Amino acid sequence: MKLPISWLKEFVDTDESAENISKVLVGIGFEVEDVIRYGNFSGVVIGKIKAIEPHPNADKLRICSVDVGNENVTIVTGAKNVQVGDVVPVALDGAVLLDKKIVAAPLRGVMSYGMMCSGAELGISEAFCDGASVDGIMILSNDLTVGEDLIKALSLDEVVLDVSITANRPDCHSIIGLAREVATALGCKFIAPSIDFTVHSGGIMPKVNITSPDCSDYTCGLIEDVKIEKSPKWMQRRLFMSDIHPINNIVDITNYVLLEIGQPLHAFDFDLLEGNINVRTGQNEKLVALNDEEYTLTSTMTVIADDKKPLAIAGVMGGIYSGISNKTRAVLLESARFGRGSVRATSLRLGLRSDSSTKFERGVDCFSVEYGRRRALSLIDKLGYGKVVGDEPIKREYNKTINTTLDEINGILGIEVPKKNIIEILQTLGMEVTMDCRSLAVKIPAYREDIDNFTDLAEEVIRFYGYDKMKETFLPTASVTVGGMTSSQKRKEEIKDIMCSMGAYEIMTYSFTSDSVFDKLNLSPSDGRRNAIRIINPISEDLSVMKTELVSGMASVIFNNLSKKNDNFTLFEFAKTYVGELPLRDLPHENDILCVGMAGGDFYKLKAMFAAVLSRFNIDYTVKRSTEPYLHPGISADFVCDGKVICSLGKLHPSAAKNFGIKKSEVYIGSLDCTLILSAFNATHKYVPLPKFPSVTRDLAFVVSEDAAVGEIMSVIKENDLVGDVELFDIYRGEQIESGNKSVALKITLVPREKTLVDAEISATMENIIERLGKEFGAKVRV
Amino acid sequence: MEEKIHELIETTKSKALSSQSIRELTDLKVEILGKSGALTGILRGLKDLSPDLRPAMGKIVNEAREKIEAFIALRLSELEREELDKKLSKERIDISIDKNIPLGKLHPLNVIKRKAIDFFVSMGFMVSDSPEIETTYYNFDMLNIPPDHPARELQDTFFITDKILLRTQTSAGQIRTMEKVKPPIKMISPGRVFRSDEADATHTPCFHQLEGLVVDKGITMCDLKGILSSFAKHFFDKDTTIRFRPSYFPFTEPSVEVDVSCVHCGGKGCNVCKGTGFIEILGAGMVNRRVLSGCGIDPDVYTGFAFGMGLDRITAIIHGINDARVPFEGDVRFLKQF
Repeated sequence: MKLPISWLKEFVDTDESAENISKVLVGIGFEVEDVIRYGNFSGVVIGKIKAIEPHPNADKLRICSVDVGNENVTIVTGAKNVQVGDVVPVALDGAVLLDKKIVAAPLRGVMSYGMMCSGAELGISEAFCDGASVDGIMILSNDLTVGEDLIKALSLDEVVLDVSITANRPDCHSIIGLAREVATALGCKFIAPSIDFTVHSGGIMPKVNITSPDCSDYTCGLIEDVKIEKSPKWMQRRLFMSDIHPINNIVDITNYVLLEIGQPLHAFDFDLLEGNINVRTGQNEKLVALNDEEYTLTSTMTVIADDKKPLAIAGVMGGIYSGISNKTRAVLLESARFGRGSVRATSLRLGLRSDSSTKFERGVDCFSVEYGRRRALSLIDKLGYGKVVGDEPIKREYNKTINTTLDEINGILGIEVPKKNIIEILQTLGMEVTMDCRSLAVKIPAYREDIDNFTDLAEEVIRFYGYDKMKETFLPTASVTVGGMTSSQKRKEEIKDIMCSMGAYEIMTYSFTSDSVFDKLNLSPSDGRRNAIRIINPISEDLSVMKTELVSGMASVIFNNLSKKNDNFTLFEFAKTYVGELPLRDLPHENDILCVGMAGGDFYKLKAMFAAVLSRFNIDYTVKRSTEPYLHPGISADFVCDGKVICSLGKLHPSAAKNFGIKKSEVYIGSLDCTLILSAFNATHKYVPLPKFPSVTRDLAFVVSEDAAVGEIMSVIKENDLVGDVELFDIYRGEQIESGNKSVALKITLVPREKTLVDAEISATMENIIERLGKEFGAKVRV
Repeated sequence: MEEKIHELIETTKSKALSSQSIRELTDLKVEILGKSGALTGILRGLKDLSPDLRPAMGKIVNEAREKIEAFIALRLSELEREELDKKLSKERIDISIDKNIPLGKLHPLNVIKRKAIDFFVSMGFMVSDSPEIETTYYNFDMLNIPPDHPARELQDTFFITDKILLRTQTSAGQIRTMEKVKPPIKMISPGRVFRSDEADATHTPCFHQLEGLVVDKGITMCDLKGILSSFAKHFFDKDTTIRFRPSYFPFTEPSVEVDVSCVHCGGKGCNVCKGTGFIEILGAGMVNRRVLSGCGIDPDVYTGFAFGMGLDRITAIIHGINDARVPFEGDVRFLKQF
């Protein structure tokens, strides 16, 4: 909302500066986004051209002698539009125009002591000042005083605040709305704009039939003997500062009232109307609007029509046929209220927005319907643009009273605001307050539809009384509560800590992605992960489906890092995947997934990272080869728990790597569904008494086929009662080993339970192990 | 004989103390105290003395032996020490070299999130999770945002169906909590939210909020100010102050924007706070009566406050991150900085 300070001050009796008014607005809840200054120049005075001579050295330049009050100065100009006797703006030596400094300097050998200015050079437009848009020097009115400062002479020092208005205050999308607020905050008088006018006899108002459910109030005024001309300069200037282009006096007044009072108005050329005014729903009829575009008006839209034809799209835009033209002699002025939902729906459906529809979408009230119409009629009357011959006022009266007590208001605030202040604040805001002991009856003005109960009143009170007067208390009345995270929440954090402790950095990526990632991951056409939840209105196709896996996001991040020459890193992401039956009827499952990605490193390191998490939470699992299509078939594994694959990890499949643009071959990725971990009942590790007798270690080296899985061999060894631990210390392939075989060296720790082991027991155990390995894996002991 | 012993002590002492190696010292020890050593010889010669002189001389010889052994031991420890020093002095390494043992790190946003959670948990707040894919019922309707309310449009919501959306605010979690838990309620709900903003230096389509809610008897706006002020002091700096500015949210009344004194300039005005001395960090207010009654909580008995802060923004302020997109890019050079 653009707020010209000079306009505001018409209604607020104050001489506060724009800076202070800006601070006041921020203090009462209206953020000031920008401060726009007009007349942003200095050293420019009114001058009168006394003589013009040709330039001796240049055909295109002329030498002017200009009276600037106390002296005549010589100015060399290239402008063609000046004549002796013209009054012009003169930037004297040292003047500053839009950050450009003017200095006396010779032009082709003749000293020039200043510059005559165009409107553009001063940063002002035609709406601001006549002659500002001419190509050449701006020629001013002859009755200005020579030598006077231009800003002062033309009152150019306008400051406009760009104020942002919260959604609950449609009334403040108007100059008087903000004026009321500023007056209350400053403790000044609010001066309401005049709405007086004379109603002449003789007018016959059309009958208004309202059948559309989306029009709650419809009022109009009738003006005859209308003279269409330009609106006064002061009005044009205010429209201009509010980003509205002046058109003609009647249209400008409707726009002026929209800005000042917040009421959208529409002016019809009355002579082109036939019969009654009908506020009805659309009948699939066509209407060419003021923007020259044709629209089809359907039954969901509200239409203003006469007995023969549609005239306007209610609240959005009028038709061009019945619009104001230079031939208009009588005007029917509409001031109405249309439902904001319906105006928005119509505006959206037609793809047509206007200042009017924007205001209706924000909200219009009974007050502005009545006040806005009367203000417009008053301006037309005062400025002599026509004779008001008919005025049909609003039929409804807004009647809302809130009964509350001082205790309720103070109770929500937590401080005791003096009774006097409460009453004063509410009254300055236009409310009628009746006190009875500590009870209040507050009659709410029609422009404050946002006020609904005592909490709204409390807000009004504290807004003006000052939030800085509130104390800081520490819940003195509240019960003590037990706070904290649930065990599942704590486990999530613990998983992240485990990852960090193993050198991984946490990443965070968007929750949505492109559905092209499924191809990049080589997923089969029937893979369930392709059934991703789709966003109806995504920002782009790249961000159009909710993630069903985290691997693709991780691969992209790895690619980005590698392309920036970051190498040898481990990353993890703990995030959600979203899985639901499509089309979605119920909320989907949001699964907690841990994804780890590694550039450099190896399969075993990645496996160890996942194993560490599972072991922390006592989850037993078995390892089998993975068939994930994005993983290397030989260098990948699944962890299976209760028959379900909860984790797949391994080297990124070369073709998947290529799809993600990754050239490095040593990239490892894995992901773990943490659902089970987060819900696992018992993650407490039970104490096992430390062995009382010394343990014994024996090394064992044997040759097995390449196919034999060392992990399985080690598991088998561990099944022996006396074996406490088995550690792999070497795998050897080479000359002494027959091809297709490998030599495996293990360190086996035997832990006695009841007594120190004797050699015979140790040898028996080792023989037992060797025999079993021979039987199950074809292992031959190396000697 | 006594003289001879004395002389032996003195010469051995000077030899021992001037010996330059452990070897030399060991040789000396053998030379004097060994089987055929000088002192051993004297000891043997005692048998030739008259029996009455023997005990006294024996004592003298033994004392001499103890003395000699003591200063040989002394010198030995000195030499050993010197030898060790010499050895260690050759083992000097270049201490200016850094070896990289990677210590992983949490994302800076999660560090901030944990810090915030810690504060509120210490005050008795429970931590509650709620779905990221939400219904319009929880995200809008129950928060007093009816279908034709402009807030629904302003927020530029991502929709999945006409009734299911990506939540635009963690406030949806307030409702889910109030439906399940009856007062007294103290809860926070940190989480990811979505708005269809194109990513730029100050926006990302995903970001993170931390919502807080207290509902009990007699809760006032001064309590809100007290809790948030204490949070700001804990979170930023003990001298941080907060400021309330009136604002509007459909689910709170009265509503405020909360500013903290600028963490960079302390309130003097700088480019971080754009010269105002304050930085906006959260929105808050007293829970709207309609929201309470919608959840089956009697607004005439209970009052409450709610607040919601943008964790990404707070992280950016604290670390001076000037581009909202970077924390989502996963660049290792970024992640290592915190």
